[in-house]
Amino acid sequence: MSYNAKTGKGLGNLYKADRRCTTHREWKGLRDTFYDYFRWLKMLGMLGTTLAPVLPQLTKGLMRYRWLVSYLTTPAFVDRHTVGLRSYELRYAHLQFFVVLRNSAKMLCDILARDENLNPKSKRAAKLREKTVIFDEMMPIQIMNGFPTLKGILIQMLPIFEAGEIDQQANMYYIDAIEHYGLASDVCPLPAADAGCCVVDDFPKIGSAYISSAMPCDGSAASTMFSHRYFKMPSYQITPPQRFNEPEVQEYAIKNLWGAVEFIEKQFGVKFDWDSFFEGVKRYNLECGYMIDKWDINCTPYPQVCGAALALHREYEMQIASSLDPNFVKYDAKVSALMKKGYEKSKAADDQPKYRAIVWSCPAHYYSNFTYWAQNCWGIKTLVDMECMLAYHHYDEHDKQKVLLDMARGYERMTMRSHSNGGYVNALDECWKICEQFNANIVFMYNHVSCKNFAGLQGLFEDQARERGIHLIWIEHDLMDPRTVSRKAMRDRVNRYMTTVFRAEPLDPTLVDYDDDLTW
Amino acid sequence: MKDLQHLYYFETLLQEANNDLVRQAQSEGGIAIGYTCYHMPEVLLNLGKCFSVRLRAPRTGSMELATYYMSNATCEYARALLERGLEGGYRFLDAMAGVDGCECMNRSMENMEVLQTNDPDKKSFFWCNMEVPTSDNEDCVKQVAEQISRKVLKPLHENYGIDISDSEIRRAVDEHNEVCRLITEIGNFRKRENPNITGYEFHILTLTSYACPKYLILDKLRETLEELKTREPDKKKNYRIKVVLIGSEIDDPELVSLIEDSGALVVADRFCYGSFPGRQEILLNDQENALIQVCRQYLESTLCVRHCAQHKVQKRLDFAAQLKNEFHADGIIYEQIKFCTYWSYERALASHVMQNEYKIPTLSIDRPYLSRTSGQLRTRVQAFVESIEIKKIKARNAQEVK
Repeated sequence: MSYNAKTGKGLGNLYKADRRCTTHREWKGLRDTFYDYFRWLKMLGMLGTTLAPVLPQLTKGLMRYRWLVSYLTTPAFVDRHTVGLRSYELRYAHLQFFVVLRNSAKMLCDILARDENLNPKSKRAAKLREKTVIFDEMMPIQIMNGFPTLKGILIQMLPIFEAGEIDQQANMYYIDAIEHYGLASDVCPLPAADAGCCVVDDFPKIGSAYISSAMPCDGSAASTMFSHRYFKMPSYQITPPQRFNEPEVQEYAIKNLWGAVEFIEKQFGVKFDWDSFFEGVKRYNLECGYMIDKWDINCTPYPQVCGAALALHREYEMQIASSLDPNFVKYDAKVSALMKKGYEKSKAADDQPKYRAIVWSCPAHYYSNFTYWAQNCWGIKTLVDMECMLAYHHYDEHDKQKVLLDMARGYERMTMRSHSNGGYVNALDECWKICEQFNANIVFMYNHVSCKNFAGLQGLFEDQARERGIHLIWIEHDLMDPRTVSRKAMRDRVNRYMTTVFRAEPLDPTLVDYDDDLTW
Repeated sequence: MKDLQHLYYFETLLQEANNDLVRQAQSEGGIAIGYTCYHMPEVLLNLGKCFSVRLRAPRTGSMELATYYMSNATCEYARALLERGLEGGYRFLDAMAGVDGCECMNRSMENMEVLQTNDPDKKSFFWCNMEVPTSDNEDCVKQVAEQISRKVLKPLHENYGIDISDSEIRRAVDEHNEVCRLITEIGNFRKRENPNITGYEFHILTLTSYACPKYLILDKLRETLEELKTREPDKKKNYRIKVVLIGSEIDDPELVSLIEDSGALVVADRFCYGSFPGRQEILLNDQENALIQVCRQYLESTLCVRHCAQHKVQKRLDFAAQLKNEFHADGIIYEQIKFCTYWSYERALASHVMQNEYKIPTLSIDRPYLSRTSGQLRTRVQAFVESIEIKKIKARNAQEVK
């Protein structure tokens, strides 16, 4: 499928209204297609070898857990995020997603090996559970670097959070379950789906202590009312401060965080291993360094690692892998080396994006490749995503008190929370600052219809964007529930803006209007 | 029942945020401090010549401006306050003591601050948005005390010369406790088999105590208490069942009126702007700093649903059952204002737990900020009343058969 002035790359033809997967694979030219196919095989091989030891449980799990079935569509997830990409950009995306998926596959393996529902009589599984702490998503699992003999697992991550990104249909059942139970439908569907998964008893049973959440929003905190009752195990609640820009709140934050360490020590009879912890801290610092390099390059006229490859990778690296997985540093180094070459090549060819945009507010889980669509259809390059601008400050690598403060500050600035909490300046003023830094005049302003934190600033965003001459393209979505706002409806908002305000012509007209409601 | 002597007077006061008593207090040199949330210790806003005004937006009509700024998917209470602020309805305030307690309220306050809804001529005006931890251990107490000292007491002292000493805090607690004693005594009449005060009347009195300078209403509260001691209830009960009303912010007495018109007498009010919690005495010892003690008692006594730790959730459930028993109610109504995330979770969970584990008949409703005209709500309450009556009849019949 080579470029044609009338049809562009014809990427819209990959979709058919009645099909769940694309009609065929994209032809990217000989070299890139070969690379793409090689990566596809490599990913399948990685999934096979990682999950082979738990194949019986996996088979059983597919019958037991609705969410697990969604992971069968993982190859399609990668395809969605590489469609239309060529050359270096294709390679960045593959490398970034590969390390994320490898980490997820390992987590799945850990879950399946421990799960009481799947291994009711296994003594080995019981022993593993005795050494496992479960965490709410977005909790500082980084502290597990200091407990090398224990395992920490983010309990909602695979059943809900990532499943919704892999397959847009994955979360609906759980959302419906909790709404049927009586929860209002206007709350954020992410914690709602978490609570729904409790109500229908679809979480695996894998640990013996629970670290719970008060972040990043009211819904997330409130949904723990359900999870505490459901998990029925000793728990500790981490409650990071809201107004975290104030230095005065940090004393409490450190004590609260250290309380989690003491809780784990007490529950499992082990001591916190500072040496092991500082090893993790070093990895974290390296990861942050690589991230900042990517941002720095994206501030130039020749951005490299953009869109979901940048955003999702950072989210998973910081929030889920949390410097517990050394593979992230290894792959970061690879991508970094490649990125520098790519930059030189782009600079030599003066290959600049047609439009420069940033993504602000919370993106739709069910449409994580939206930014690639905008790039393929309209030539809008997404340089940075608010969700990946989590904590990126350097942690102290030697001083115990200082590193606790650094870590507390880090988790106060966890996914979404870094901008939705701490006062309006973190959302509003920060947006304009990032536009300036990245030299972007378009903001994909995600209007997550259930997010009250950002909804409460809607008018101020509108007013201030007008004052600054920034194109604020509001894109409604409902985070985990594509029935409220479909992918197509999200695209229509950009299409309308580009044709009416910019008077632009699409690069690929086949992408302007197509139906992908049924696809994963 | 004969009308309460001062009821009309209190009702009239509640027609405006900037009511006659607020104006009178300000003309006497008082400093009006606006606040909205229980987490902002009311008693500390009543030091020296300061007096607290818990903000409401009575007679709210359209909320178009606020909806532009906060979208139509946010709490109507938060939007109503912003709308009233944009209309200039809170320009009488000398300071705004906000709390980062929930998303909508926080954004409402922030919008007011950015859009400068305060009176620019009041040069000493200050905004604050206080951090409140979502737990209640001693670290949290210290955190709250630090926040209040820095964000409220310090500017009160520096901008208005208010005495913020320990002895002044103790004096304010004494005055606060007197109001609490009066409201509690009045509220206790609701425990009677046939109460001589309605939920609506009690809500009016409680609301007045939040929205007006306390020293200006004490006399009339005392007189009301005396009046109630001899007030005879109607011989024939003018209600069909008694209920505890639990939920999010209610500053519109018409909601209580609607429920009572549907046959359910509200005998206990466990909601923001109600008396549980908020109108219990603060007990201080002489050894410890009064500020710390006040902060501790507010944190421990709060029944706010943003405290999601298991022991706090359990405490709220147990307290609901306790109120039901103490006030001899037949059931519980859980209500939430639309778009309140915290209460949506609490309501969904509690309505199941109370029904299934505590075996208490429970109605679960959501409602707009102003619900006086809601026919749907009326129908739901009526159906709940009937369901309880049917249960009573069945129970009686079963006993007779035995």
